Formats: sequence, C-alpha cells, structure tokens
Amino acid sequence: MKRISDLEIDEEAIVTKIFAKEPVKGRLLSMGIVKGAKVKVIAHTLARQTWDILSNNTKVALRDEEASSIEVKSIYE
Amino acid sequence: MNDEIKVAIVGQPNVGKSSIINALSNAKLHVGNFSGVTVEKKEVFLKRDIFDIKMTDLPGIYALNAYTPEEQVAKDFLLNEDYDIVVNVVDANTLSRNLIFTMQLLDMHKKTILVINMVDEIEKKGGSIDKSKIEELLGIPVILTSAKENRGVEEIISQIIKLHKTPLAKNKIFYNEKIEERIERLAKILRKSPHFKSNDVSRFMAIRLLDRDEDVYKMIHDLPIFIEAHNALEKMYKDLELEFDEESTTDILANERAAISYNLQMETIDLDEEEESLSEKLDNFLIHPVFGLPIFLFFMWTLFQLTFVLGNYPMNVIDAIFSETSSFLADFLPKGIFNSVLTEGVLPAVGAIVMFLPNILILFLGLNLLEQTGYMSRASYLMDGFLKRFGLQGKAFVPLVSGFGCTVPAYMAARTLKNPKDRIITMLVLGFMSCGARLPIYVLLVSAFFANHNPGNMLFFIYIGGAFLGLIVAKILRTVLFRGEPEPFVMEMPPYRFPSFKALAMDLWIKTKMFLKKAGTFIAIAAMAIWFLSSYPVDNKLVQNYHAKIEQTTNISKKQNLENELKAKLLEDSYLGSVGKFIQPVFAPLGFDWRLSIAVVTGLSAKEVVVSTLGTLYAMSGADETSKGLVSKMRQNVDFKAAVALIIIIMIYSPCLAAMGTFYAEVPQWAWRTFYTIYPNVVAWLLAFGVYKVLALMGY
Repeated sequence: MKRISDLEIDEEAIVTKIFAKEPVKGRLLSMGIVKGAKVKVIAHTLARQTWDILSNNTKVALRDEEASSIEVKSIYE
Repeated sequence: MNDEIKVAIVGQPNVGKSSIINALSNAKLHVGNFSGVTVEKKEVFLKRDIFDIKMTDLPGIYALNAYTPEEQVAKDFLLNEDYDIVVNVVDANTLSRNLIFTMQLLDMHKKTILVINMVDEIEKKGGSIDKSKIEELLGIPVILTSAKENRGVEEIISQIIKLHKTPLAKNKIFYNEKIEERIERLAKILRKSPHFKSNDVSRFMAIRLLDRDEDVYKMIHDLPIFIEAHNALEKMYKDLELEFDEESTTDILANERAAISYNLQMETIDLDEEEESLSEKLDNFLIHPVFGLPIFLFFMWTLFQLTFVLGNYPMNVIDAIFSETSSFLADFLPKGIFNSVLTEGVLPAVGAIVMFLPNILILFLGLNLLEQTGYMSRASYLMDGFLKRFGLQGKAFVPLVSGFGCTVPAYMAARTLKNPKDRIITMLVLGFMSCGARLPIYVLLVSAFFANHNPGNMLFFIYIGGAFLGLIVAKILRTVLFRGEPEPFVMEMPPYRFPSFKALAMDLWIKTKMFLKKAGTFIAIAAMAIWFLSSYPVDNKLVQNYHAKIEQTTNISKKQNLENELKAKLLEDSYLGSVGKFIQPVFAPLGFDWRLSIAVVTGLSAKEVVVSTLGTLYAMSGADETSKGLVSKMRQNVDFKAAVALIIIIMIYSPCLAAMGTFYAEVPQWAWRTFYTIYPNVVAWLLAFGVYKVLALMGY
C-alpha cells in the first residue's frame, strides 16, 4: 500500500490507516488527519525530508517518518 | 455586590483568540502566569450592567489529549477550575477540524458559546455559514465574528450574560449507540462514588476514560470503585476495538467526532472550493524546494541590515540629546557629588542604553511580523531537515529565533517541544542566539573596530556565527549526553495573514515601556553603583600632588595630559579598580584590561550594563578631549584582538540573571542547572582565547 511519503506534489489521496504511535497519532487526529480524510501534498523539501500536507483546509508539516506512517489509497478507488 | 461570571476562553491555536480579546472594548487586561508554571495567563475584566465578567484566556489547545505543556495547562484548567461559561473560539476556515475539539468540550456539558471567527474570509470567497443550523445541531448559541473587522465581538459579552441567566440546555451530541451504551454503563459505576454524583460529570468522566485519558484514569485510581471501573473499562476497550476493528478506543472516538464535525461543516457552510488561494500562491515560492531556503536567509539578512542602517539615524539623535543634556546640567547644577553622579554616572550610562532602543525595536518588530504573518511556521518547515542534522527539530526554530529577541521568552517558547530531551538541548543552546540586549555591545564594538567593513554584514555574521556555534554544541550534546530519536514533527502551518497593526503597535509599546523602565531603574542604579565604586576612595595626597604639578605648567595640552593621568590613577585605585584587578588575571590571557573585565562581569546582571559600564569607565578615564564618543575612546584603549575576544565572550557566556532565573524555573533538575551555569562560560573563554592567539599569530 502507498504511504503519504510515496505521493508526488499536488497528488491527492484518502487516508486508510495511521500507523504512528501515540502521542503523534493523537496529534494527527486532532489536526483532522483521520481515516477517510482526503489529503493533498502541497510541497516537500528538496531531500523529501519534510512534507507539507493539506487536509480539510488545514496545512500540516510532517517529517518523512510521520509521512511514511500514514497509509493512503487513490481517490479513484 | 455585583454578580460575577467566570468565563474560560478556549480554542485551538491560530484561531484568532487574542485578536478577539484585543477587540473587546472597555476591558481591563491583566497578564500574569498560571500558578506554578511559566505559561502566560491573560485575564480580561469587564463590567456590564450588574455583572463583573472575568475571562481567562487559556493557551491554545488542539485536543483534550494534551500534548504540549501549554495544552496541559489549558486542560487542567478546564477539568479542575471553577468557571461558569466556556467560550470556544473556532476558525471558520477550518471549521470541521476545530469542531473535533468542540465535541470534546461539549462532552463536559457546561454552558458553552461557539464563536466562529474569521467569517469575513469565508464571505470574501463567496461562501456563507448557516448559524441557526449549527445552533440547532450543537444545541448551543453560536456567534459569527470577525475580530479584524470588529464584527460580533460585543455580541459575545451580551450572549455570556444571556446564557448566564438561562438554565443549562440539554446535551445534543451523542455518539454511536454501541459507544453510548458503554458510556452509560461506565457512568453508572462512577456514580457510586460521591465524586461523580452528577449525571453530567459521570458521563464526561466515562467518555474521557473510554478516550484513554490518563489524567482522568489517575483521578479514579484511588477511589473504592476503581477495581470495578477498571475491569469494566478493560472489557469495553477490548469489545469496542473488536466491534469497530480499530487499534484503540481513542481512534474510535476520534473517528466518530471527525465524522460528526465533517457532516456538520458540510451541512452548514456553503462554499465552492476551491481556486488556488493567495496563501497557496505565496507558498508556491516561499516554501519552494529550491528557492525557499535562500529566500528565508535573505529575509533574515534584510532584517539585520534594517536593524543597523535604519536604527542608526535615531541613535545619533538620542546620543546627541543625552550628551548635550549632561554637559548642560554639569555646568548648570552646583558642583558636587550630586552633579557628578548624575552627569558622569547615571546620564552617560542610561544614554548609552536608550540609544539602542531603535535597534531593538526594529529587531522585535521584524520577529513579530514573521510570527504574525504565519511565515515563522514556514521557516520551521524549511529548517527542519537542516536542524534535524544537529539533533534538533523544526519546531525548535521558533524558540531559537525568539532567542535573537530575548532569551527569556525564548526559554518559554521551548515549551512547545514535547520531548524533554529536545527541550533541554534547545534550551541549553538558546544562549548562543544573541539576544537584543547584546546588540548594543556588538554595535559599539563593530563601529569601533570594523569601521571600514559593512557593519550590517558584520552583525549578520556575528548572529549567524553564534547560531551556528549553538547548533554544533547541540549536535555534541545530542551525541554525548542525549542519545535517542528526536521528537516527531507535526506542526500546523496557518494561512498567511495580514498582520494587525494594532497588535504590532501594542507589542512594541509594551517593549518600549519595559525597556525604558529597565533603563531608568535597574540600569540607572547599576550605573550609580559603578560610579560610586569607581570614584572612591580618593587619595587626597595624590590629588594634591597632581594639582600642584598642574598649577606649575603653563602649557595647556600638558595640563590636560596631567589631568587625565590623575583621573586614570584615581580610577585604578578605586574600589572598582581593585575588583577589576582582582578578577583581571582570569581575563588577562584575552588581552582585557581591568575595565573590560569588570564590564564582562557586570554584564551577568543584564547585558545592557556592559555598554553602560564601559560608558562610565571610559568617560572618566583619560581619553583626549576631542574624542567625545565612547566609540573612539574604545578604539584608543582596547586593541583589536581583545575586541574580537570580547565579542566572542559576549556571544557565548551566560545570559543575564533574568534569563538564568527563567531557565531555573523551567528546568527543575539541579544537574542541568549546574551544567547550564558553568559550561557556556568555559566554552566562551576557551574560544576567545583560541581566537586571540590565532589573531596574534596573524600579526594583529
């Protein structure tokens, strides 16, 4: 399955599972990154180390570790 | 006796809570700390009709599953303090995410008002919000506001009074029936304990327990019902997780709340998404993978250039005013101790400080602008990859940059770092970020010793050099003392907003007031003390000898030289001179004379004092009369190597007492306090010594 860290800039996807452990998970949930939420990659740094994700009108910055802990599926599935 | 209404203002970060508070008219604002911690507590007092309204502005909190120390403060207040009404401020632009937290608040079933702020931004996009529908669905009053346009803010007050008079409405938020059934069963067990007699409290506690809230779990831990509640809870966790196919009941509740919030937003906000907003267009190049970092560095460089170049004009004016005033008063007032204290001690010292107010204000204005516009979080995003290499994380960037303003709030800003290791490392290296109070010393030394270089560039180099050194130290600390993974990085990036001039002006005004107060009291007293210590004891024999010699000569310049010689001798024999000579051996390898040694030591009380001390000491010493300014006196008395060594010492050694006190308040472990107190001074001395020696080898 794809992770957020596999997406390209401007690509959209639906969150299917969050593997991050608490308390990171709780923070993601309170930012609106929950199962079923639509996310879009706005930007990432040159080395793909930090990610800027748009979800429900909120932009969230994530590190590679957190971005790869969020499983997503294509919006067309 | 008026009727008192206690209100808790709560909301997620970046929803414009403080601009709402600023927009309230006839309000008295009181800024203090929450008891026992250094989180800022803002209280607002208002009088309306017969009511005294006391509003407490809680720190921004994303969810009741507290994550940062600030959130813990807000949560503790909500759970344990006594208040009548909750005002929940949310951002219209991110309503559904904000409502997830509102659901948690509504679980408490207290009188609650939902304030939907920034509605103007929705309207500008051609959207609208169905206020009565939200009221109907949530069962609480809703107010649409725009703090920016001053809309709806007064309505909050009248609604508070109205709600205070009406009885608590029925709860309208219910979860999936499988969850509700468990809540009811658990609440029943809790009600057996006298602590949770009321239906509302027991329901709320039951929900918190199902949400795996450790604070609430601790609350029931010592109660007689604990075993029964615990056993029931364990079974519920297991059953619910199986029924919903989720890892944890926390996730189940989060999903529930997210779904309710999302539907609520869908039903009540009418808005066609979504052409690319201005914010996104800006981000296209401000956080561009390639150009983002250079743009950021350019902003910082510009800020330091402005600080120096713009600040220079008012600086000269202030300097002139103070020196003119002192020479006028010296002639005007009767000769004597009072005259000397004032015109030789206090005025030059205070003048030497106030002179730098413009520089400091420009720097603070710049940092505030970065914060208010939302650019600061972009900077964190850009810097995270880089900071990670030094064992820090992107969020540490905010305290680190605040450190350029003042180390005290920077230590407090480090609270946003959840992981204690990350926090202590960041705090230990914060002193390397040169604070605003150190700026005057740099400006003085740069003007005196690097006059033929671009002073703005030199300043930029000093600041960046200090920061870089701090990062290297952070890396060393991370590898030697703190092993392990740094804190994860999850940070909201709020949309760009136009800064509020009122807020900027308010902040600068407060800074100016505090600065002048410090200059007028603390620094004036320190200057007075230094003046007395440097004027006494007087060796009358020496004075007579010199006076006789002066009488004998007719040559004017020779007279002048003798007078200066006398002043220098008297100063050397004074109390301050003795102290300086006592500590001078420590600084001798760096080429410091006793005056510089004293200045460095007095700088521990406050960094501004370094310049004022130098001002006093060199004003009295024998510099030739054509050079009035401190700059040229420094140039005559201090050699280049020692000046560079002094810059290095100032860059690294312990910050002021206020900052050290803040560190002690934030870090309870004595081991870290001791380490913090000693290591910067050792590093500073060693580095200054090394550079001094290298410069000497290079023939300076």
